[in-house]
Amino acid sequence: MTGVRAALIATGIGLGLWGLWLMRDFTGGELLSIGTWIAGGILLHDVVLAPVTVALGVLAARLLPAHLRGALGVGFLIWATLTVAFVPVLSGQGGKPDNDTILNRPYVTSWLVLTAVLLAATVLAVLVRRAQARRAQARTVQSRTAQGGPTADAGP
Amino acid sequence: MRLPTVEDVERLLPDPESFRSRARGTGLSARVGVLLGLTFGICFLTGIWSHLQYDPPGWLPIGPSPTHLYRVTQGVHVISGIASIPLLLVKLWSVFPRLFIRAPRGGRARVLELLERASIGTLVGASIFMLASGLLNIAQWYPWEFSFRRTHYAVAWVAIGALIVHIGVKLPVIRDALGAPIDDEPRPAPGAPTRRSVLLATIGSVGLATILTAGQTVPFLRRVSVFAVRDGEGPQGLPVNRTARAAGAVDAALDPGFRLEVVVGDTTLSFDRDELAALPQRTHRLPIACVEGWSRDATWTGVAVRDLLDLAGADPRSEVLVRSLQTRGAFRTSVLPGQFVEDHRTLLALELNGEPLDLDHGYPCRIIAPNRPGVLQTKWVQRLEVRT
Repeated sequence: MTGVRAALIATGIGLGLWGLWLMRDFTGGELLSIGTWIAGGILLHDVVLAPVTVALGVLAARLLPAHLRGALGVGFLIWATLTVAFVPVLSGQGGKPDNDTILNRPYVTSWLVLTAVLLAATVLAVLVRRAQARRAQARTVQSRTAQGGPTADAGP
Repeated sequence: MRLPTVEDVERLLPDPESFRSRARGTGLSARVGVLLGLTFGICFLTGIWSHLQYDPPGWLPIGPSPTHLYRVTQGVHVISGIASIPLLLVKLWSVFPRLFIRAPRGGRARVLELLERASIGTLVGASIFMLASGLLNIAQWYPWEFSFRRTHYAVAWVAIGALIVHIGVKLPVIRDALGAPIDDEPRPAPGAPTRRSVLLATIGSVGLATILTAGQTVPFLRRVSVFAVRDGEGPQGLPVNRTARAAGAVDAALDPGFRLEVVVGDTTLSFDRDELAALPQRTHRLPIACVEGWSRDATWTGVAVRDLLDLAGADPRSEVLVRSLQTRGAFRTSVLPGQFVEDHRTLLALELNGEPLDLDHGYPCRIIAPNRPGVLQTKWVQRLEVRT
């Protein structure tokens, strides 16, 4: 495996250097713009998007019972990742004023509908979860009563 | 008063152990990473292919068949790029605590750790750059000072190189993770987030992102893809990439004195539009396949370029330089290699879907050939120069 790993690492470094070589005649202005975008992308993620997501996770962990967090997490993940993917069409930027064959759909309306649908699906999943959790709890209580108290739970 | 040291900064930051969610972890990172490796690989190969189709090298004579090849490769390029966005975000979420690992103090371990960090930084930066620049480009939004085409190409090599380094570094970790169950034991309480639920949600998001955008190139999704940049509509049932006004072609295109010139050596034949329409016409169903990832089939009628060359007495396998009337923007000329000229489906089109070409589709006449990137389907053609 060491040989394979060394080959992968060497190949990767070679391809990366080839990419840098392709930029050898770029002007200083171009390189600055590229650098700004690359650094900006990392900072936008590491300093804004990720900490906000972590903070929401911490908040959810403090405020919500565990059995509801799975469904909420799934709903949030889908909503947030799709929203990031749709930022350009939602931004109102791009396209050309004399060309109505591009960006010609009601994207914001679609996004509101998408948000509402995901929210409804998440609430539904949470309600189902809660009902299941209550039933499970009721069953436990019932079986405990039937078997004559909590000691019977010790089981095999 | 002293300057803050590395240790001072580290004290302010969380450490990897402060992240408690058990939904993060190698079991998830490795699986999402495999999917991301697939979409990045597809993006890279189809991207390289697109550059080859723009400038076919001598050793690879890309021809007019299969008719829909570029439509498929470029459609897949943009689809897999968009599919990568949820994958990359979840991947970064899963490994985020590792950002706060403190490098070992001194020695070989520290050097290795810093080198790996540099490769990860390169990978993350280049990946975000590729997805962001591609996503903005398909919306024709260019808030930057570099050439999109050249830069997206160059950084792609950096991204794929850093990805291969990353796979090389992590290979044992990846193998262990894929060989073990995705979630640790004991399993979390019912309903609590698990790595499995995050993975399934990520796949669901990829599926939704695809369905909601791919209709710009996949016909049966057209009505469903409410977030696609193009809805597939436009004058004569076809979207427009660049209008006649944007290309500065309006006046010359509408000039009643317009004549198409066919130049072979010292002789020049010229035709007005009626004369072109009086020549034998051919009708073919061919796609416009844009580098921006949208495509649509249409019915084109016009004179086969090879028939014009026959009239001019030139070899129908000659290379032809196509010049446009446009006065602004890139791609004012294109080169039709011999294997395209030879194909009778390569048309100087006069009609689109049964009507005279709309001004924005290249009136008075335009090139349409099978299996070519959209920008090479030159509009508002003024001159065909046969290279013998």
